[in-house]
Amino acid sequence: MIARLFATLRGLLRRRQIDSEIEEELRDHLEREIERHRQGGLSLENARRLALRDLGGLTQTRESTRDVRAIWVDAVWRDLKYGARVLRRSPRFTLTALTVLVLGIASTTAIFSVAYAVLVRPLPYVDAERLVFLAEQQGSGIAWPNLDDWRHRATSLEGLAGSLADAVVVTSGPLPKRIDSLSVTANFFGVLGAAPFHGRLFDESDARPDAASTAVVSHAFSVREFGGAPAAIGQTVFFSRRPYTVIGVLPPGFRYMTPADVYLLLEPQVVANYRGMQSRANHTNLYAVGRLERGVDVTSARAEMLNIVGALALEYPDTNKGRNGVYLVPLSERVVGDMAPTLTVLAGAVALLLLIACVNLGSLLLNRSASRAHELAIRAAIGGSRWSLIRQLLVEHGLLVGAGGVLGAVAGAAILSALVGVAPPDTPRLDEIRLDFVVLSVTALFSCACALLFGVLPALTISAGNHDMVLRSGRGSTRQNSRLRRGLLIGEVAVATVLLCGSGLMVQTMVRLSRVDPGFDPYNLQTVMFSPWGAGWSDARRQAFFPEAVGRLRAVPGVETAAITYSLPILGSNWWAWFTVAGRPIPPGAVMMDLPSAGMVPVSDGYFETLKVPVIKGRSFNRFDTADSEPVAIINSSLVQLYFRDEDPIGKQIRLGGSRPTEGYGPWRTIVGIVGDVKQHGIDQLTPQQIFMPILQQTRASTAFAVARTRGTVASSAIEAAIHDVDRSVPVFNDRTVQQLMREASSRRRVAAIVLSVFAIAAVLLAAIGLYGVVAQNVMKRRREIGVRMALGATSDQILRLFLRHGFVVVAVGIGCGLLAAVAAARSLAALVFGVTPRDPATLAAVAALLTAVTLLASYLPARSATRVDPSEALRSE
Amino acid sequence: MNKTQLLQGTLDLLILRILDLGPNHGWGISNRLQQISKDGLKTSQGSLYPALHRLEMRGEVRSEMTPSENNRRARVYTITPQGRKRLTKETETWEAFALSMRRVLRVDR
Repeated sequence: MIARLFATLRGLLRRRQIDSEIEEELRDHLEREIERHRQGGLSLENARRLALRDLGGLTQTRESTRDVRAIWVDAVWRDLKYGARVLRRSPRFTLTALTVLVLGIASTTAIFSVAYAVLVRPLPYVDAERLVFLAEQQGSGIAWPNLDDWRHRATSLEGLAGSLADAVVVTSGPLPKRIDSLSVTANFFGVLGAAPFHGRLFDESDARPDAASTAVVSHAFSVREFGGAPAAIGQTVFFSRRPYTVIGVLPPGFRYMTPADVYLLLEPQVVANYRGMQSRANHTNLYAVGRLERGVDVTSARAEMLNIVGALALEYPDTNKGRNGVYLVPLSERVVGDMAPTLTVLAGAVALLLLIACVNLGSLLLNRSASRAHELAIRAAIGGSRWSLIRQLLVEHGLLVGAGGVLGAVAGAAILSALVGVAPPDTPRLDEIRLDFVVLSVTALFSCACALLFGVLPALTISAGNHDMVLRSGRGSTRQNSRLRRGLLIGEVAVATVLLCGSGLMVQTMVRLSRVDPGFDPYNLQTVMFSPWGAGWSDARRQAFFPEAVGRLRAVPGVETAAITYSLPILGSNWWAWFTVAGRPIPPGAVMMDLPSAGMVPVSDGYFETLKVPVIKGRSFNRFDTADSEPVAIINSSLVQLYFRDEDPIGKQIRLGGSRPTEGYGPWRTIVGIVGDVKQHGIDQLTPQQIFMPILQQTRASTAFAVARTRGTVASSAIEAAIHDVDRSVPVFNDRTVQQLMREASSRRRVAAIVLSVFAIAAVLLAAIGLYGVVAQNVMKRRREIGVRMALGATSDQILRLFLRHGFVVVAVGIGCGLLAAVAAARSLAALVFGVTPRDPATLAAVAALLTAVTLLASYLPARSATRVDPSEALRSE
Repeated sequence: MNKTQLLQGTLDLLILRILDLGPNHGWGISNRLQQISKDGLKTSQGSLYPALHRLEMRGEVRSEMTPSENNRRARVYTITPQGRKRLTKETETWEAFALSMRRVLRVDR
């Protein structure tokens, strides 16, 4: 046995040598034979003819001798050649099967690769599963003194670091550039476990009060600014006109939450420079990342943090009363954020599509095997062993699946790059997405298993016992086979129903979102962001900047009107404050939380006119509202409804809350107008209460938006130039139209809607093709019966009904199951739908109706052909 | 039984028997077969070579390309111990079979 195996192996390896040796051996034989015949007195020609005849032909003998060696390899090769020929001979089957395979493998691989990269693959930090993200209750930013206390008290955390996303202006180039920065505590990189690419990262020595100002930069930044990581070390860079020494460069691709090019220190002596950060009431966008002690889980860490937060609430009631919650989740969960539901839905949809594709492939193969049963039965009858039949089918379908797998991988890569192209830019870990080979192999294996299972099944059922029955009946389709196919078809219709429901809900969501009145006119609005914070600007300089900038913006050709604001609608605002109303006493013992609150938006004159926000009562801001004039405010309808329901707010005075409820902050402001509600935080969000104030009365902010209403399109460079005309040191960035901003804000839903709809259409088509095939097959099979029926007087209506009924039962059961599944799966869509419940009966009904219509059409077409059967011909044909 | 239609097992047996007399090449085996059986068991030479290679795959003979006269090389086959074992066993089986056949045929007469 072993010797034989060895010989086979040797035969494989030395194939050519063995071939030539066989040739030599046979030629030697022939020459000896010819010699013998010559000695017997024959002519050379006759001798050769005789020798060749006795040998049975040189070629044949050589072939049959060679066949003895390397038996199975040759057989598989033969099967391959035969299989390729079979596939080529039935191009329609091959193309359909390939399409189904490629569709399934490609889409699944692409979507799952995204889902895997974003949801599953561990974050690129050391022991990333021990990292947690922390914020105050409801995910709000942490007040610096609170973070400081957390750091000292928490024992379940090995380390706790703070980070604050910010931006700095590089003031070395010809035009100032704004770059994203992250201010971090000295232990930040230690907690993440990050290692420097060059130089060193922050450590405790940088946190000493006497330490020099240091910076860590990204790899990309070091290359861009200094031509390489080593060259960056020790360089002095001016960020917002302050000098920093670069001490380290991070590895390429390093990133925490948001991309940043510069990392600066956030420690007490630095915090002192951040206005208001020492206040326990000031919740800026400071967040924390912690590393759990070994063996401590998230739940117990959260329990400890709750205790600490509760203790702080008691110690500092003025600012912390009522702040008893804490937000502590695994970092991976935070990174993925609200992308998880979208991705889960997409992955679910694509899994269903793969299922449909496999089911269709299975039913396609079953169909085909039924028509090939005859061929297989003949082969079995003339002595083909069962194993050789199975091998033949395995090879044939392996060929098909192999081709499908390769094409699927290529198409998957293409879909993936297209997906990354249309993905929302804030998709977490977008840069980590690549075609995943684990995912690819799993989907490929799945389709292979499916193809092989359904492809080889018929060979298993054709055993020695029944091939003569198949031969006699002339057709291979057994009853068992057709029941299986009907089951598959029901599944297909059900899956199509689920996908169609999802897509229907998403399409409705998009329609309803587009009908929401944003409260302003979003068309022809051009914006740029800029930093009106030229260091060293005096208050007078600042005061002068805004009116001048607004004036220049309005002078740009094509601009109708323009304004400046600290926060734009849809994008939201991050300044939320408490306020008091003059004449309304503050109850004794009240804390900040008990005061009314609203979003604060400083805007220039002409803001409401530019955005076309209606002024409901009173006046809007004008150029006479300056730092020297009476402090004024304009409030929106929502605020009126919440706090001034029974009185006229015009003329009332309000004041921002200080660090205690009884303290005020800033001047008393007189309410001079009421404006309409605007969807400040996004089209799908409730309108917040808002207080607008003149920008000249509240000039400090690091970023502002210039917004211009244009006739047609105006080049954003013209708008940037208008600002640079006022001051070249002001960095301008991020030019957009408001429509673009709105599109970006809804891009997740749009991607979900598009992908779900495409998948749903594909699923419905697949189901329709499947149904068409089954009914058509059924008609073919029963031609003779139809002939008999018609000969006996059946009308074509009766024949039609016979076949429609068959299809209808399948469709009804499939849709029923699908609707049940859709209702059960509705919860997964809840986070994405808007303005419609995930179990919307109208959608379910519409889906059922549409699917019924499509599938009935799909079975009507072949059924109608049944009525055209000519009885005499049908009866004669067999 | 038609004399050209030898059962495969029988051909194997005959080849082993001839090689038992000494190493030989294909043409030699074919000639010896005819001589021994007095031309009564003429094999198709076409089936001789696959049979030889099959026997080699089974390890019952081994072969070697050896130089022969006229600048040629011939493949010379040698019986292996395993082949000899099979020869002994199948010869016994064959004789037992032939014996029973004879008995039956005699009874029938």
